[in-house]
Amino acid sequence: MSDFAIEAHQLVKKFPARPGTGDKTADRDAIPSQPKKRSLWPFGRKEPKALFTAVNGVDLEIQRGEIFGLLGPNGAGKSTTIRMLCTLLEPTSGTARVNGFDVVTQANDVRRSLGTLLAGERSIYWKLTGRENLEYFAALYHIPQAIAKKRVDELIERMELKDRANELVEKYSTGMRQRVAIAKALLARPPILLLDEPTLGLDPQAARNLRELIAQLKQEGHTILLTTHYMEEADQLSDRIGIIDTGKVIALDTPEGLKRRIDQKEVIRLEVTGWQEYIGEKLRGLSEVSNLVARKQAEADLWEVNLQSNNSRAVLPKLVESIGQNGTRLVNMNIVKPSLEDVFIHLTGKALRD
Amino acid sequence: MEVTLSSRSLGKPGFLSDLRAFWAIVWREWTIFKRYPSWIIALLIWPLIFPMMYILTARALSGMDGSGLAVFTQTTGASNFIGYIVVGTTVWMWQNIVLWDVGFALRNEQMRGTLESNWLSPTWRFSYLLGHTGPQLITMTMFILITAIEFGLFFGVRLNGNPWLALLVMLTSIPAIYGLGFAFASIVITAKEAHTFVFLVRGLVMIFCGITFPVSLLPGWMQSVATWMPQTYMIHGMRAAAFANASLTELWPDLQALLLFGAFWLTLGYLLFQWMERRARRTGAIGQY
Repeated sequence: MSDFAIEAHQLVKKFPARPGTGDKTADRDAIPSQPKKRSLWPFGRKEPKALFTAVNGVDLEIQRGEIFGLLGPNGAGKSTTIRMLCTLLEPTSGTARVNGFDVVTQANDVRRSLGTLLAGERSIYWKLTGRENLEYFAALYHIPQAIAKKRVDELIERMELKDRANELVEKYSTGMRQRVAIAKALLARPPILLLDEPTLGLDPQAARNLRELIAQLKQEGHTILLTTHYMEEADQLSDRIGIIDTGKVIALDTPEGLKRRIDQKEVIRLEVTGWQEYIGEKLRGLSEVSNLVARKQAEADLWEVNLQSNNSRAVLPKLVESIGQNGTRLVNMNIVKPSLEDVFIHLTGKALRD
Repeated sequence: MEVTLSSRSLGKPGFLSDLRAFWAIVWREWTIFKRYPSWIIALLIWPLIFPMMYILTARALSGMDGSGLAVFTQTTGASNFIGYIVVGTTVWMWQNIVLWDVGFALRNEQMRGTLESNWLSPTWRFSYLLGHTGPQLITMTMFILITAIEFGLFFGVRLNGNPWLALLVMLTSIPAIYGLGFAFASIVITAKEAHTFVFLVRGLVMIFCGITFPVSLLPGWMQSVATWMPQTYMIHGMRAAAFANASLTELWPDLQALLLFGAFWLTLGYLLFQWMERRARRTGAIGQY
C-alpha cells in the first residue's frame, strides 16, 4: 500500500482545441508533424489537430488523512486534474495513483476508494426522495443491503435530513440537496474524498456547517482533496495548498508557508468610488507597486483595489494624489497582513475569480 | 493525528453486487417514470391515434360500400385490414419509442447532471443502458396490451392465430429493437444530437418495412433494402402469428432472421457503447452538456 493517498507525476491532459475559440494555449506542436502525403481517400485527416493543454505536468503527493486544497482561477486546470484522479478522464501522459491504484489500469479500484462531489446538487435525482437517492447510490457502490440500510439511516441523521428524508429532492433547498450529495459521497465510507467546490451556491450558514463537517471528516481519517474559489475556506480547512495556474502547480505549501512568501510585502487595500482603468495603469507604473487588482463591489460605483508594495510609506502619498482626480474618490484605506488571496495574486498576477 | 479509517470502502465487488446495482437502476427508472403521471394519458391515446390515420385512409380509399377492401384482401391475404394495419403501426411505434427512450437515456442523464455521478461508481457501465431497458419493456408491454384491448373493444379485432406464437415473435424481436437503441444511445452521447438519425430510421421503417402494405408492392430494389431491416420480419411474423394462424415451422424463417439481426445489433450496440466510453475518457464528453 502506497504511503500517499493520492500521487500524481507529470500528469498532462491535452484536448483538441475547439475551432473558433481563439484558444491561445492551443499547441500545434504537441502532435509531431508528418510530411504531407497525397491521398486518394477523401476522408483522411488532412492535418494534425491543434491541442489545448489543460493540465501541464502536475505533480502531487497527498498524505493520508490530510486536507489538501487545490486553488486556481477558472480554467486553471483544477477540475481537469480532479477528473483525471477520479477516472472520468484519461491522462494524455504521466501517471496518477489513488489509494495505491493506478487511475488508468485499476480504474474500478480507484472508484471504490473514492467519494466524489463533482456537480453538487445536480449530481442527485430530484424526482427521487433523499432516502431513495442514497439507497440507489448505495447499490451502485456495491454496499451489501443490510449495511446499506444502516448507513443510509446514519447519514440521514448526520446530515440533519431526517424530517424530510422521504420528500422529493426537488422540494429541498440548495443546502439540503448539497447535503444529500455529500451523504452520497460518504456512503461507502471511502478513505478518500474529492470535493469540487463543495460550498458553491450555499448560504453563509450552510457553508459554515459544511466546513465544520469537512473538518470532522478529516478527524475521522478521511483524506480530502478540496477545490474551492473561497480563499478563507482553503486557508481555514487545508493542511496544505497547491496553487494551480495555466495547468501547472506553481506553489505548494502550508497556508502559513505560502503567506510567509510575501511576508516582506505590505498589502494596501483601498476602497474607491469613480474608479477609472487608466488610474490602475498609472499606479502599475510606479516602481513601489506590484500586483494591483481592482474589483467592483456589490454597492454601486464602489471598487476594492488591492496592491502590494515593499515600501508603503513611500507609495501612500502617490496613491492619494493619483486617486483624488477627475471624480475618483478614496473612501477607505488599510494596510493589512497578506492573506492567502494576496499570495495568489502575487503568484499569478490575478485574483482567484478573474 | 490518529488515522482510524480503513483504506477499504464498504463496497463488496462481485456478480451479485453488480446484479443488485442493475436492479437499482431498473427501480430508479421505474420510480421516476411513475412520478410523471401524464404517461397514463399517452399510453391510452397513442395506441389509437396513430393507426387511426391509416385505418381512416383505408376506409376512404375502399369506397362507400367498402368494396375496395376485397382487393386489399386479395393483395395481402389478410381478411382483417384493421388488424393488419395495427400490427405494422405498433411495431413502428415500438421502434420509435425505443429510439427516443433508450436512445436518449444517457443523454438525458447527461443533461440532468447525473451521468457523471453514476459513472463515478464502480458499477459495470453498460448496466445503465440495460437497466433503462427494463421499465421501457414494461411500458411497451402495457402499450401493446392496451392496443389489443382498445382495438378489440372499439373495432372488434380478434386474434385468429396463436397468441403464444405472436408473443414468441415479439420476444425474438427484442434484441434487434433494443440493440439498435443501444447503438443510438452511444452515438447520441458522442454527437450530442441525433434527432435527424431518429427521423431517418423511423422514416425508413415506415417506407421499407410495409407497416400498412405488403412489401411485395415495393419496387425490387426497395424489397432488397427491406430484407436488411429486422422490422420487416417482426411485422411479417407478428401478422402471420396473430391473424394467419401460422405454425412455428412457418414462422421459423422470420424468427431466424430476427435472432440474427438481434445478435448483430446487440453486438454493435455493445461495441459502440465501449467505443463511446473510451472516447469519453479521452475527451471528457461525459461531463459536457
